[in-house]
Amino acid sequence: MSTADGDLLHTVNVDTISASRIRLGRTLLWASVALMFLTFGVQALFETGVTPFGFDTWRPVLFTYCLWAFALCMSRVMIYGEQGKKALFVLPAVLFVLSMVVFPLVFGLWISFSDWNLSSLTGRKFNGLDNFRQMLSDPFYWNALYNMLIYVAAIIVEYAIAFGLALLLNADIRARKFWRVTFLLPLMLSPVAVSWMVGKSMLEIRFGPLSRFAKWLGWEQPSFFGSPEIAKLTIMIMDAWTFIPFMMIMLLAGLQAMPKEVLEAAEVDGASRWQRFWEVTFPLMLPVSITAVMIRIIFKLKLADIIINVTSGGPGGATDSVTSFIFREYRDRSNVGYGTLLAMVYLVLIVIFMTVLLKIADWLVRRATGAR
Amino acid sequence: MKLGVYDKLMEMQASRRGVLKGAAGAAAALSASTVLSGIPTSAFAQDDLRAAILKIPGVGAGSPTDADWQKVGEMCLGATKANVAEGEFAGVELTFMGLNNQNLHNFLFRGFLKPWEAYTGAKINWIDLAQADYNARLQQAIATGTVDFDIAEMGAPFEGDVCGKGLASEMPDWVKDQIEMDDYVGYLKAPVGTWAGKTYRVSIDGDCHNFNYRTDYFANEDFAKAWKDAGNTTEWAPPATWQEVQAQTKFLKGKTDPLSGLSAHGYLDPLKGWGGFGFYFLGSRATAYAKHPDDPAWLFDADTMKPRINNPAWVRAIQDVLDVMPDQPADQINADPGTTGFQQFLAGTGSMLSWWGDIGSSAKTSDTSVVGDVVGFSILPGSDDVWNHKENKWETLAEGPNHAPNMAYIGWGVYVMARVDSDEKKKKAAWSAAAHLGGKDLSLWCSAYPSGFQPYRQSHFNIQEWTEAGYEEAFIKDYLASEADSYNHPNAAIEPRIPGIFQYYSVAEDELAKIYAGQYASAQEGADAIAVAWEKITDQIGRDSQIELYKASLGM
Repeated sequence: MSTADGDLLHTVNVDTISASRIRLGRTLLWASVALMFLTFGVQALFETGVTPFGFDTWRPVLFTYCLWAFALCMSRVMIYGEQGKKALFVLPAVLFVLSMVVFPLVFGLWISFSDWNLSSLTGRKFNGLDNFRQMLSDPFYWNALYNMLIYVAAIIVEYAIAFGLALLLNADIRARKFWRVTFLLPLMLSPVAVSWMVGKSMLEIRFGPLSRFAKWLGWEQPSFFGSPEIAKLTIMIMDAWTFIPFMMIMLLAGLQAMPKEVLEAAEVDGASRWQRFWEVTFPLMLPVSITAVMIRIIFKLKLADIIINVTSGGPGGATDSVTSFIFREYRDRSNVGYGTLLAMVYLVLIVIFMTVLLKIADWLVRRATGAR
Repeated sequence: MKLGVYDKLMEMQASRRGVLKGAAGAAAALSASTVLSGIPTSAFAQDDLRAAILKIPGVGAGSPTDADWQKVGEMCLGATKANVAEGEFAGVELTFMGLNNQNLHNFLFRGFLKPWEAYTGAKINWIDLAQADYNARLQQAIATGTVDFDIAEMGAPFEGDVCGKGLASEMPDWVKDQIEMDDYVGYLKAPVGTWAGKTYRVSIDGDCHNFNYRTDYFANEDFAKAWKDAGNTTEWAPPATWQEVQAQTKFLKGKTDPLSGLSAHGYLDPLKGWGGFGFYFLGSRATAYAKHPDDPAWLFDADTMKPRINNPAWVRAIQDVLDVMPDQPADQINADPGTTGFQQFLAGTGSMLSWWGDIGSSAKTSDTSVVGDVVGFSILPGSDDVWNHKENKWETLAEGPNHAPNMAYIGWGVYVMARVDSDEKKKKAAWSAAAHLGGKDLSLWCSAYPSGFQPYRQSHFNIQEWTEAGYEEAFIKDYLASEADSYNHPNAAIEPRIPGIFQYYSVAEDELAKIYAGQYASAQEGADAIAVAWEKITDQIGRDSQIELYKASLGM
């Protein structure tokens, strides 16, 4: 048995690769690169009107890209043999991410700096930072961002309820399994179904059962979407009803994994129920809590379906989310350039927000658990 | 007591339906058996054919089903058979893009075209879209050069986007003959359906907003007495002007609905957007104020595309909405036109409504309607005065109130895409399918039953055909008169067929929502904001081309 020098992976088989095989591999790779750039160049010149010949669509360029990706993988093996095979474990995934994430992002960025209204006879035009400037003075966008702050802040309440429910379901109560399944049911429903079942049917002001219940309680003319404040609250409740079970189930898993000895030790030391919760359970649950809250924030930042279906952002933008506003700008107004810029800016804001939040969370956990 | 009256009415409606269902079922079975027994459709005299299809399934027999649509499609194949040999399109595959609103449109087309497919040998693949997704899907296909459909159901407002860019196929002469285009009502004839002198559209609908009201409200003696007691000098009667609509809506607050026993309401405004379509409803309030008989333009200045949305006429219409908001149902700010039409008016809430003809055709044939026996129709209310935009002043016309029916959306049509032009067989197949859907007899059935389409041919206004189908004469006369009077009105407000028209409407909906939510100091301030947004859209799409197309659409 022999291994290559310096090969920490202890490759069993060392290839003897002939010079002609290496040459063939390199030729294959560079030929595919040349073909890809050639078709791209031809099509780009054709699209910009420089040359009169080209393809009807960009599809041939895509085919040459696929060919290049295949040739790249092949050439690794042809040139490097067994070592090259290792690259095959990673390369397809890298190429996939490149194609499906990086390229669309770059393409989106390119579109976002353009004036592109689908109804315009002149098509796409580069307009520099005009879209960004328009965004700065767009009251609808800022209103939606403000609403998002409120929606995200509501997660604190959702978290408290979810924690309460998780503690309850972790306790020794009757029919515990039944309650666990029951509390999980809203999470299994699509937000679109919730919009129609709850928002449009149960809250219907004349015949909806919740409206009738509200009347029975003495609310003479129940209106769940009539005023900005109540509409926002109703949307938050509907969204919370759907997603609290998600946080609850994560917290419940955390509670069940928590070592019982610590709580028993606290009890022996004479800690009260509240002290046991606040001084022991809560700090120990902090890592799980932070994960649950983070994932919930990500879900919340995408909030759109319930709003689009129930209020269309109204009344007067009171329930609009950034996503539902972008949806209108892009879909109803075919304003592709501006809509994409708004989405890009939102992406950057989310990345910054989540990074800061993770730093704070990390600091909080360290502080609470005494970890360094 | 009121609940008892309501129950009694429901019982009466159920029994009437039951009787008609039996009669219509027998007639339908008879006609179907005739078709199925192999007697060619051409054996029917046309009048007999029209009478027979109108009895499928029969007025009052509930909503039609797929079997009914197929039956009607088969019975109306005569015109196709005259132009196409059996199996002529074998091997041809066509893609049809249309809507699936309220399980209508494409759902019906599938049924209508199934016998056509069986006869011609062609196969149709379907792209179903929700109304709200339609605009974006169409625009993206156009902009990215990925038109992946051969036939499209499309509204005239999109003709600028499609025909203006050379994406549609010009209609062959044999199609014009087959669908009998001369039968169209006046306003659907050229320039609608044409672009640069070429014809592209098979009309399957003729849109306008008419005025729907509850006859039981205006026949109610208690209301009439209270109206007089309140010091009103006019009669308690269906309103003829928006001024009366406003007064009656305010008056009805606090009263009890004579049918349902719930709170009575007057005019129903949809205050929530509907993917741009909600703007038509403000338009219906505004046309009487904004459309002067001497001026074809009413939405923009024709020479500059400067918006008129913030002129005194439109601002007055917006203010009217604001004035009656406290008198409307509690959650009205969250009601879109679908809600006002189908969940409110047809379900017995509110007494006055502007809508497309669907309300009239659904009132007696839809399972969800409770107002079939207490609904009346007229053209949109007028106004005592009208804004003269050129003179910059309000005018009172010598001939009385100014009426200007809103020709909202100008109806659906079927368009064949230019991509079939390179293949003669495919082209003929596509046009044959379009012509079948826009056939004279088939269109009568669509006008009489829930289909998403309303009457649009002169031949649709033959009262006798409707009464023989089971409609009450008074009801159908009233309904058809409101449609015909709107179509033929000399001061009809015709929608501009310019690219991106729904972008204007969509952005207006957002600003209107803010106005209705009280976020602007006044209606004028909100209207100014809409005007600014509209100017931006015009500049983005291209002002010069918009001016040119707007003028063309107004026939200037």
